[in-house]
Amino acid sequence: MSTAFEELTNRAAGRWQELTDGAEPWIRVGGGVSGQAAGSDEIFTSVLESLDRFDVSARVSRVGSLGLMYLEPIVDVTLPGGSRVFYGNVTKDIANQIIERHAGGGSPVTSRAFAFEGEKTGGLEGVPRLEDLPEFRAQVRIATRNCGRIDPYDILQYAAHGGYSALEKALFRMTPEQALDEVKASGLRGRGGAAFPTGVKWSFLAPSKAPDKYVLCNCEEGDPGAFNDKGILESDPHTLIEGMILNGYATNSNYGYVFIRHGHDIPIEATRHAVGQAYEHGLLGKNILGSGFSFDLEVALTGDSYVAGEETALMEAIEGKRSLPRYKPPFPAAAGLWQKPSNINNVKTLAYVPQIVFNGGKWFKSIGTESSAGTAIVCLTGHIKRPGMYEVPMGMSIREVLEQVGGGVSPGKRIKVLQTGGPLGGVLGDESFDVKIDFDEMSKAGAILGSGGIIVGNETVDVVDLIRALVAFNQYESCGKCFPCRLGNTHMLETLDRLCKYEAKPADLKLMDRIGESMKLGSLCGHGQLGYNPVASALKYFEEEFRVRLRVTQPEGKSTNGSMILPTRTRP
Amino acid sequence: MPDNISFTIDGQEVTGKPGQTVLQAAMDSGLYIPYLCYFPKMKPYGACRACVVQTEMGERKSIVASCTTPIAPGLVVDSKTEQVTDLRRGIIELLMAEHPHGCLTCHRVELCGPQDICQRHVSVTDRCTICPKNERCELKDTVRSVELDLRTPLNYHRRNLPIHTDDPFYDRDYNLCIVCARCVRVCEEVRFDNAITLTNRSGVALVGTSRGESLLESGCEFCGACIDVCPTGALVERDYKWEKAARQVTTICTNCPVGCQMVAEVNRFNKVVRFIGDLAGESNNGQACWKGKFAYDYPNHKSRLKYPYVREGGILKRVTWEQALDRIAAGFGDRDGSKVAVIASPRGSNEDNYVAQKFARSVLKTDNVDTALNLTPRVASTLQKRFGSAGSTNPIWDLEGSKCVMVVSGNPTEEQNVLAVPLKKAARAGAHVIVIDPRETELTRYASDWIRPKPGTEHILLVGMARTIIDEALEHKEYVSSRCSGIDELKRSLWKFDLSAVSRVTGVEDTIIREVARNFAKKAPASILFGVDTVPVDLHGALTDAILNLSLITGNVGVKSGGVFPLYAGANTLGSLDAGCSPMAERGTDLTVEPGLNGATPPPMRDGVADLFAGMRSGEIEAAIVMADGMNPGAGPLGDAASALRSLDFLVVSAVFDDEVTAAADVVLPASTYTEQTGTLTNLERRVQLIRTAWTPRNEERSGWQTFASLARRMEAEGFDFQDSGGVFEELASVVPGYAGLSHDRLEAGGIQTPCPSSDSPGAAMLHAEEPDDDAGRLAIVPLPFIGAAAPSSDLVLAPGRVLSQPDKPVQVTRRGDMNYLHRVEVVKVHEEDAKAMSLMEGDAVEALDDHGSRLAVGVASLGSPQPGLISVTTLFAEVALGMHDADSPDPSPRIPGLPLQPVRLVKAADLAAYAVSSD
Repeated sequence: MSTAFEELTNRAAGRWQELTDGAEPWIRVGGGVSGQAAGSDEIFTSVLESLDRFDVSARVSRVGSLGLMYLEPIVDVTLPGGSRVFYGNVTKDIANQIIERHAGGGSPVTSRAFAFEGEKTGGLEGVPRLEDLPEFRAQVRIATRNCGRIDPYDILQYAAHGGYSALEKALFRMTPEQALDEVKASGLRGRGGAAFPTGVKWSFLAPSKAPDKYVLCNCEEGDPGAFNDKGILESDPHTLIEGMILNGYATNSNYGYVFIRHGHDIPIEATRHAVGQAYEHGLLGKNILGSGFSFDLEVALTGDSYVAGEETALMEAIEGKRSLPRYKPPFPAAAGLWQKPSNINNVKTLAYVPQIVFNGGKWFKSIGTESSAGTAIVCLTGHIKRPGMYEVPMGMSIREVLEQVGGGVSPGKRIKVLQTGGPLGGVLGDESFDVKIDFDEMSKAGAILGSGGIIVGNETVDVVDLIRALVAFNQYESCGKCFPCRLGNTHMLETLDRLCKYEAKPADLKLMDRIGESMKLGSLCGHGQLGYNPVASALKYFEEEFRVRLRVTQPEGKSTNGSMILPTRTRP
Repeated sequence: MPDNISFTIDGQEVTGKPGQTVLQAAMDSGLYIPYLCYFPKMKPYGACRACVVQTEMGERKSIVASCTTPIAPGLVVDSKTEQVTDLRRGIIELLMAEHPHGCLTCHRVELCGPQDICQRHVSVTDRCTICPKNERCELKDTVRSVELDLRTPLNYHRRNLPIHTDDPFYDRDYNLCIVCARCVRVCEEVRFDNAITLTNRSGVALVGTSRGESLLESGCEFCGACIDVCPTGALVERDYKWEKAARQVTTICTNCPVGCQMVAEVNRFNKVVRFIGDLAGESNNGQACWKGKFAYDYPNHKSRLKYPYVREGGILKRVTWEQALDRIAAGFGDRDGSKVAVIASPRGSNEDNYVAQKFARSVLKTDNVDTALNLTPRVASTLQKRFGSAGSTNPIWDLEGSKCVMVVSGNPTEEQNVLAVPLKKAARAGAHVIVIDPRETELTRYASDWIRPKPGTEHILLVGMARTIIDEALEHKEYVSSRCSGIDELKRSLWKFDLSAVSRVTGVEDTIIREVARNFAKKAPASILFGVDTVPVDLHGALTDAILNLSLITGNVGVKSGGVFPLYAGANTLGSLDAGCSPMAERGTDLTVEPGLNGATPPPMRDGVADLFAGMRSGEIEAAIVMADGMNPGAGPLGDAASALRSLDFLVVSAVFDDEVTAAADVVLPASTYTEQTGTLTNLERRVQLIRTAWTPRNEERSGWQTFASLARRMEAEGFDFQDSGGVFEELASVVPGYAGLSHDRLEAGGIQTPCPSSDSPGAAMLHAEEPDDDAGRLAIVPLPFIGAAAPSSDLVLAPGRVLSQPDKPVQVTRRGDMNYLHRVEVVKVHEEDAKAMSLMEGDAVEALDDHGSRLAVGVASLGSPQPGLISVTTLFAEVALGMHDADSPDPSPRIPGLPLQPVRLVKAADLAAYAVSSD
């Protein structure tokens, strides 16, 4: 073991000891985008005020998100040597109570606590263990293992949880080939949408002898309803950094970029800070931990563009150009960023890598299904009881996820439609809810797992309106380069508008099919090729709803464009 | 060279070159696959998807865009399957739903022809007449080729955008734009200007300017490349916008020595209505410039001179050619050869110039013959003497591959525009660009090293560089020892060029000189483009010697992508030198008047056209024949040419238009233009190219050689019985050795670079490519004297600069009438010492006045001139473009102002607001 790394782990253990078993209680306030949206900034301030008011001394940290977004803002308290007790939906009043009674007084506010973790201590009667919560019981947390647990701004907390030990293992006890073999053996497939085997992708780049090779990480994540990439970066950016260094090591590449969409401020700041820390600790830069391997990492941002998440458009954006997709071939492994050999992966994909290298590819392969190893990080939103970010093993059925993890819909309602994999994914109807979460099974059912977003709609959702909203998004976000996507989306949206306004003609369904076919076969990149998915899948499961719009006239009181009015960019 | 690749398209065996795409290979094989966004000589883009085909490789079938799919052995391409044709129609159908297409739905689609008059059968908003490209529209042809059913259920949408007609030269109608981005790409990847860009995205994506609204402020160089690539009527030339071509004539642009091959579109009334860069042109690769693209139409002008005139009683009276020739013969009478001169046209063909000099020498018995733009005879003669040709050593497009390009005292972007295109391409590819010029020009933007020596010390700076290279042993020793002679003499001469002395004289720090020298020596191949814009005339030879030495010691002559490129003015300066149309002795062909001719000792030879004009001013020259086509009659590089000509006793002018020059003439002859004659031009890369007749003269215009030949015959000289210009060229080729292998017939197939000694010689793309066989063939390096470093005068010199855009300086675009104009406050850069001397503060309003008190520049003073005595002002190129656009002259391009250095006085201006410079 390198002495530098030993020193890091020793300091990390000391830091964790100090935090959990030091002189003062440790209060963690859940942050991240979801926490912030629920008001965690105010709660954080009020926690500090309460500490002053009750003259309690405690350490206060902001951590990322546990994934239980329906409970945000979450505050938890760990007394020295004691268990960690979680409080959900915290208000200022509750925060006051927590500080006064738990942090100050030493006794948990049982009525407000939803779970605890660690050794059960007194005063926690009736409070379940975190891992016993139904939404936690079903989870296998690999990539999100540290989310909500550690302060993303503290590299030592990451190291205290085994962070960078996979890197140390690879650098000192594995050749790049061995590291690559572990990733290959793990059966890991890309979590960005295309589900391409990651190890195979890396092995396209690895043999290139070019002096400058790039590994890139894609956190454009513009899908409505998807927040797991951001979730990982804002909660545990070092996992990604470690994954990227390993990616560089396994493919003999010395440069990396994390590409984050401009405006995702919390993940951007967290990642930038983490990159800086990694440099300070000799985990990035020249001669990492004295191993002789060098790797430089930079955070790059794009403007407001969904298509910038397409791998080649992303490279254009990093190069400072308009983010338009390139044609392929040449593929990135031959000529990517700056026309140099490159590899690009999604945040989630790379976040698995440290654990895969550390525990071995076989271990990962044993989780999930035969063709889809590991876990799926799903984002549940919409008409569901427990919206949040959950990491479940592949092979669970969607229904299981919705009911066990998501808690189902409100009583008296039923789930009617699911929208999965982002706006280019598609919709699923009732009959396919039993499909397993698995790349191949889902694509057979006409939807994609994609980014892992699942938007749940109950019976009040009008599918035609929903599809119109999705197509409006796709149309708005088309880069405008290739004709089928630029024009096809526009005409598709106009046709759907006619349907929504009850003004369509029967031939319009056929017209959409014709437009969709041109987009699917003719488009330059995935944005256009998949652009017909929402309509095609909706016609598969909900054709009758479309036909009704053709038959009847506009009902009284029914808005014409559905509930969602989105901006459009149709005509110059 | 890897083998060609065989594959099949639609069952037909096709071979293509490695690296080609399916579409390129298909085009080369004469197979048509519809396409819209692809354009030859540009990178594939893959946006329109009209070129979709089905490919089959082993088991794998896929539908791909043929423009981006590389060919592979055994690939099976099918462009006509039902799925593919249906998909293609589906995509173009989407396109047509936003492109006006009355031209396609009209039942007269087959009958409709150029300038057809018809009852329009389509609705007003969609009718063919909103589009200037009817019958020459690439989109229309493509749509028709896919046999699209236009009864589409898609909603047709008319954009109703305003048409941009307020910038010079271009009309931009984005209602017709299909967003194929050809224009944006040609501007970015071929011209490197980035003046236009895609705006917005998705359905509202369109083309617009990079900054603001007007092309004036966007960095546009008005080269027209975007127009030439536009497949629709969205971008068109404003002039003759609605004119249809009856025929196309391949010809050569006569505005500068690049010699761009152009396609002239001629309508059925014999007017050139468009000038399009010819993709097959080897000198320009399809490119053109603002002059070539928009200043070609003077032959069309209604005010052209049609008949000969003789001045009687102060008034020009129309006469017959015979009467005019009689008058000329009488006017010259038996004047002494030293007292007459022949000034040939800078646009004149080799044939014109050959006959002009033959006339001068054999009839007028004088060596006083030159073209009006042969302003740098010492550059030409030095090159001729040392390298055997006054042309560039390398072809123009060789510059693409240079790793280092040095530009000395020249402004190719404006003066030899297309020459700058491969230069910029090299710069984009990472070449090191060195600009040595006190003026800020377009190329200084690309310069890694921009050196601004005191004007007139450029040659000393260059020798200083040579000194550094020798001192640090950076010269290419092997090259020098195997190919050159005289290195020791050079070394011995360099002791005078101590870098501290060089630094003192040039005003450039010695560390910088060393750095630049190292950069130039280490980055091979390196090429040098050099003009003498800022160099006094007596130093032209010294500068050329310094340049050639530098290129030789670094081993760059006769090397691909190396070499030297002299930046001449005048379209046929090199050809006229080759044809002997110059007083100089060193020109390859010795046609000088021999002693004893005319019974007298010939006078000492005059030093080029400037000296001839000096002779006119001093009265030594009394009579002259001037071919005025393409000459700047106003205050140009020859001073006030018209006033010099007025002082003559007898003046014959052959001109296209009535102007200041004809006003001074005793006899005026109507000249034909490039459209009315066949002839050859030799560009600066020694390429002899054919100008072709577009129409026969309408009236009594005669070309230069015809004029001289008929005059010679009238004066009873022998040897002027030429049948046609081909016959003239035949005689020329028999006299000029480098032209021996050339003939009009041979040049029909394309230009050939001289020397071309025999009819089976392919010409010489590069000079001195071979190692010399013997010592006589070695290239001489010459020792250099330390001259021209006179004590600095206390005068201030204005170095006017011009660039395409200055994004950091605010520009206001104002509208007057229908046009946009620029309005901004210029920055006058003054050296600290000079500012102190006249107690000038940063931000003061100042004016620069010339000897006569005319204001040359005005603006706010800013400290930061690199040299004491040097004042610099950088204006925007758009002002010149506007000037040309608004010019009254039917032939504005010869009058476009260059960027000469001028002595000035600097005075404080009272109120800056009053002086805000405006292009109105």
